[in-house]
Amino acid sequence: MKYETQVPQSFREITFKIMRYNPHLPGDQARIQEYKLTEALGMTVFIALNMIRENQDPTLQFDFVCRAGICGSCAMMINGEPKLACRTLTATYENGVITLMPMPTFELIADLSVNTGAAMRRMSERIEGWIHDPHQDERDIAKLEEPMDPALAEHIYEFERCIECGACMAACATRRLRKEFLGAAGFMRIARFEADPRDKRSPEEYYDLVGDEEGVFGCMTLLGCEDFCPKELPHQEQIARLRRKMVATAR
Amino acid sequence: MTYDIVIVGAGGGGMYAALEAIRRNPALKIAVISKVYPTRSHTSAAQGGVNAALANKHKDDTIDLHIFDTIKGSDYLGDQDSITYLCEQAPILIRELENLGAPFSRLEDGSIAQRPFGGASRHRCCYCADKTGHTVLQTLFEQCMRYGIQFFNEYYLLSIEENDGKCQGVIALNLRDSKIHKFEANSVILATGGYAKMYWHKSSNAAGLTGDGGAAALRAGIPLKDMEFVQFHPTGLRKSGLLVTEGARGEGGYLINNKGERFMSKYAPEKMELGPRDLVSRSIEIEIREGLGFESTAGQFIKLDLTHLGAELIMQRLPQIRELCIYFEGVDPILEPIPVRPTAHYSMGGIDVNTSCETNIEGIYAVGEGACVSVHGANRLGGNSLLDILVFGKRAGMEVVERASKSGQPKISDSQVEDQQKYIDGLFGKTHHERYDVIREELGTTLGENAGIYRTKDALTKGVADVYELRERFKKVKVADHSRLFNTNLMQVMELGSMLDLALCVAKGALAREESRGSHSRIDFPTRDDKNWHKHSIFKMTAEGDIAVSDKPVTMGKHELQERTY
Ligand SMILES: Cc1cc2nc3c(=O)[nH]c(=O)nc-3n(C[C@H](O)[C@H](O)[C@H](O)COP(=O)(O)OP(=O)(O)OC[C@H]3O[C@@H](n4cnc5c(N)ncnc54)[C@H](O)[C@@H]3O)c2cc1C
Ligand code: SF4
Ligand code: FES
Repeated sequence: MKYETQVPQSFREITFKIMRYNPHLPGDQARIQEYKLTEALGMTVFIALNMIRENQDPTLQFDFVCRAGICGSCAMMINGEPKLACRTLTATYENGVITLMPMPTFELIADLSVNTGAAMRRMSERIEGWIHDPHQDERDIAKLEEPMDPALAEHIYEFERCIECGACMAACATRRLRKEFLGAAGFMRIARFEADPRDKRSPEEYYDLVGDEEGVFGCMTLLGCEDFCPKELPHQEQIARLRRKMVATAR
Repeated sequence: MTYDIVIVGAGGGGMYAALEAIRRNPALKIAVISKVYPTRSHTSAAQGGVNAALANKHKDDTIDLHIFDTIKGSDYLGDQDSITYLCEQAPILIRELENLGAPFSRLEDGSIAQRPFGGASRHRCCYCADKTGHTVLQTLFEQCMRYGIQFFNEYYLLSIEENDGKCQGVIALNLRDSKIHKFEANSVILATGGYAKMYWHKSSNAAGLTGDGGAAALRAGIPLKDMEFVQFHPTGLRKSGLLVTEGARGEGGYLINNKGERFMSKYAPEKMELGPRDLVSRSIEIEIREGLGFESTAGQFIKLDLTHLGAELIMQRLPQIRELCIYFEGVDPILEPIPVRPTAHYSMGGIDVNTSCETNIEGIYAVGEGACVSVHGANRLGGNSLLDILVFGKRAGMEVVERASKSGQPKISDSQVEDQQKYIDGLFGKTHHERYDVIREELGTTLGENAGIYRTKDALTKGVADVYELRERFKKVKVADHSRLFNTNLMQVMELGSMLDLALCVAKGALAREESRGSHSRIDFPTRDDKNWHKHSIFKMTAEGDIAVSDKPVTMGKHELQERTY
């Protein structure tokens, strides 16, 4: 079997060009600040940012929680592409220059920190991202659970893997142009509930949620979402499927 | 603002409490405060699953067996009334989560799947593939949105306020603008998560697991319990402490020392690398102590060798682990052994509460990894901690609803708010020069060396002295960023303060407890001593800010003390 080894061997000096701007600070101006540091074995952008904050500039703002690609808080534009800082090796950038910008389309908090949380909550509320079942609270939970086909459970789980990092939305040209466009993470949530037999919403109800230009019909299939989703969720396949379904419902 | 209920922490424990309360009484005004966005809470890192005796896989599993496994796992330090409640509620909880939409993996017959887990006598662990915590958290957050629960994200708990032994609410800092807010309420639930991050680079935990809730509780006069019990996982990556799951050894990985020996042959000749967690952790530690480990600038370690498994197997069955090793150690396990060492993983101790989640102050409750009910005693079983946060999260939600209608008007005075303002202003003090990251690093090092897996009187005495010294230096710590807008630096300094207070409890408790029980192994007292030490440790903060250690009996039930052998 062939495999590529990605182990970096060099200890070179690398340069970070980082966008600095705090919109809440009166008079603050957007600028690019440069930081240099020595690369280490297995260094990620996240490790480098922490070193910069600890040794060079305590005022630098960026988000992280888990440092392991699980929580979705550290997405940012790394040399123009939306990526998780904790999952991006500095060694992947051959010329040793790494430019960091905050993700577009989200509210900027400061520097590299954006409010993905607020956007995700708004998205979930808009599509009412929870199980809808008028009889849900009447069920006797002391009794055996309703059976579910294992393959179906896995199918639902597949969509549930989204970590709400926002990379798909930052990579989406449509969303950059139109803030009201739901965005790929939203379609994943819709696909998740629509696939779940426990959610009793009708096709018409789903149509009302996403059957318009701000929903699935706004997508221009530019594929940014699929290219940059760190969890490799099946965006285009699901958007296409939802569209067909919406068209059928409209008839 | 005044609320009926304030919940601090939006992990699994906090959100279940919020959900249960609002479902019981939709008219209640509930605020959930969290220093991170709810679904980024650490609960999302749990992969393995949740235990419940559903008997889907093994038809002969029973709640009684689950109870016994948990008591035995706790090395008889768990309270049997609480453990009984935990295990009885487990099947109901899983089915409730299922009903709310959690996508549990299924067996062929369509029932919820169950996998084997350490210390369990039956296949009892329910899971959603390898992201159980993430999906549980997501499901709970969905339901909280459905009921319109109000979240205050990026708020940091500063203090718990009481008057005459009655809860008045909490004071928190809005991290966005550094403004102080009071949240007045007759009922407060603390669900702030564990404290194992104090071991810093030797911890599998996320950055925020600094025990803030416990530290605030101590300052408010609420005792902590069994703090010396910290669980170590045998294989954390050398540099970051991130977890290499048991799967790597399950597939046939070897643990080797600097002589190239598979040293587990000395400690567990039959099970070898697949011995129980605490035994493997202790064996690695002995090798390192005897000079059989490897040296590096990032500390001593031993190697987990997968190279003999071949590229194909590693790529197919352990792709996640390979990725982790490449990202975080710069080592490709196909070509080279992985540098590992035990990593602090779970905190058994926490805020002292009873089965109803009540603290010593009326109206203040605690749940989750930050609380100690105690169901895990001296050692928690895998899959029981998610269960703990869900069962007792729900229980606390029930309890506060009972209370909500019965209490008067809560009140936090202006002077209480001013005290907190002074504290924050003090941290910005101009003459300060100590670096928080240096203190934090030193704290992790001394805890790892002196209050780690193996403990002795001499090492612990040094550990306690070191923590005292670091606490002194912390008084002069510098907040380098003077901005009032989203000051991460300020938060990290406050978190360090929490870790230092709780570290003192860990070290002092470990020094006091002259026996070996569960995760607590004293070289100088190698056996369990039920006569003198079958009791909980209790930690209180004195008026001078020191920590006093006392004890409290264990609640027994139908299971008598027995030797714990596997
Ligand atoms: C790598 C890993 C794998 C694990 N796998 C499993 C497993 O398979 N099965 C299992 O049962 N358990 C597992 N566990 C343990 C389990 O995940 C935790 O015990 C559990 O999730 C803790 O939940 P919690 O609700 O108590 O706290 P958390 O989920 O940690 O949430 C704490 C909350 O408190 C908030 N908070 C903290 N401090 C403050 C403050 N000062 N101000 C405001 N808010 C604050 C945080 O923002 C957060 O919302 C694992 C743990 C780790 C580290
Ligand atoms: S769908 Fe993928 S890219 Fe989009 S938020 Fe979820 S994990 Fe991130
Ligand atoms: S820090 Fe959690 S995904 Fe990067």
